[in-house]
Amino acid sequence: MELADRIERFRKTIEEWLRGLYHGMISHPAYEKIEKEAEDAEDAFMLACFPDAFGIPSPVSYYTSELLPYIEDEFESWERRLWDRDSYIERKGQQYHF
Amino acid sequence: MEPFVFFGGKGGVGKTTVSCAYAQRCARDGHRTLVVSTDPAHSVTDVFDQPFDDSPQPVAGIEGLDAVQIDPEDEVTRHLDEIRQNLSEQVSAAMVNEINRQLEMAHGTPGAYESALFDRFVDVMRNAEPYERVVFDTSPTGGTLRLLGLPELLEGWIDRLMHKRRTSIDLFEKAAVGTNEPRRVMHGDPVLERLQQRKEFFEFAGSALDDDAAFFLVLNPDELSLNETERAIDDLTEKGLDVRGLVANKLTPSPDDNENGRGARYLRQRVETERERLETIRTDFEPPLVAEIGWRSSEIKGDLLDDVADELDIETAVEPPTHV
Repeated sequence: MELADRIERFRKTIEEWLRGLYHGMISHPAYEKIEKEAEDAEDAFMLACFPDAFGIPSPVSYYTSELLPYIEDEFESWERRLWDRDSYIERKGQQYHF
Repeated sequence: MEPFVFFGGKGGVGKTTVSCAYAQRCARDGHRTLVVSTDPAHSVTDVFDQPFDDSPQPVAGIEGLDAVQIDPEDEVTRHLDEIRQNLSEQVSAAMVNEINRQLEMAHGTPGAYESALFDRFVDVMRNAEPYERVVFDTSPTGGTLRLLGLPELLEGWIDRLMHKRRTSIDLFEKAAVGTNEPRRVMHGDPVLERLQQRKEFFEFAGSALDDDAAFFLVLNPDELSLNETERAIDDLTEKGLDVRGLVANKLTPSPDDNENGRGARYLRQRVETERERLETIRTDFEPPLVAEIGWRSSEIKGDLLDDVADELDIETAVEPPTHV
């Protein structure tokens, strides 16, 4: 095998590793953070729409109930997240991988 | 005057009689008129001696007058069924039950009736095309009139909801790595679309109520009714809807001068206190007193309705609506 080929292969491996490291350490946690933030924002939206799920009567839930047919996914994951969530700190803590 | 006329007031003061009388007068003056009642007691049916339901029907014997009677409970059920129908088309069977629970809860909240009525009122105003004048006989549950002051508030609320939704979709789009499909996309989001429709609905309601509606309050010459009217005037003014006039109903007739029996003395005394109360209304209340209607010895219907209509000093000329 030529030297040039071996260097080429070595560089490829290094590049792959670097990309993997960058993705694992920087980009993936960042995207995860954004996604979590998006979920939090969605939860706030759901809560504003359906406060009566928590026993808070809302004059607008009559109107927001019109949205129900369109937010099947949101509704399901909202409920799941609510069950999962122990505390706000715990939720924020999930973003850090020690 | 404005094409949409609302009559409100405490329960039992005679809103339905006054609205029907006014509607009848508008029709007699050659304006195509619709009278809308939300009274679950079906009083319009009693006044015109004819059954009505939730689609406009001509009133027998009066040219150019239609009546419609809205039942808030039916409206809530209709709304519920409509959403359920949508639900079964869009949502997987496993989730339907879950969402159904939420739906039923939303329709059981206090205020669902009022919201349903409000929707229907705005609907009638939107589709008022064939009529020159629409007379609304609002239900006594103070809620209806109060709700008419809400569009601005609701608009703001919907705005905030839309903002929240946009923020979360935006974040979801940013969180989609590389060529991955984002979990939600802004373009064509059905939730934002629905909210936008609602917003436009409230915008229409707000401007139509501001520019094309006149409000009258019916009251009786007694302490309770006066107090409630005062509160209602404050309430409406605060919401930017000014009360055009007050209608005093059920005034006691005065006896002849030569009568002096117990009944006559009683009547004279009552007339005296009522005169004072009317004076209070004239001096202390801002909206003018546009009609003084006396007690009738029998139910007000037929010819008597004409008499009452004559006593109403409310013009019937119609300006075309500006927002429809």
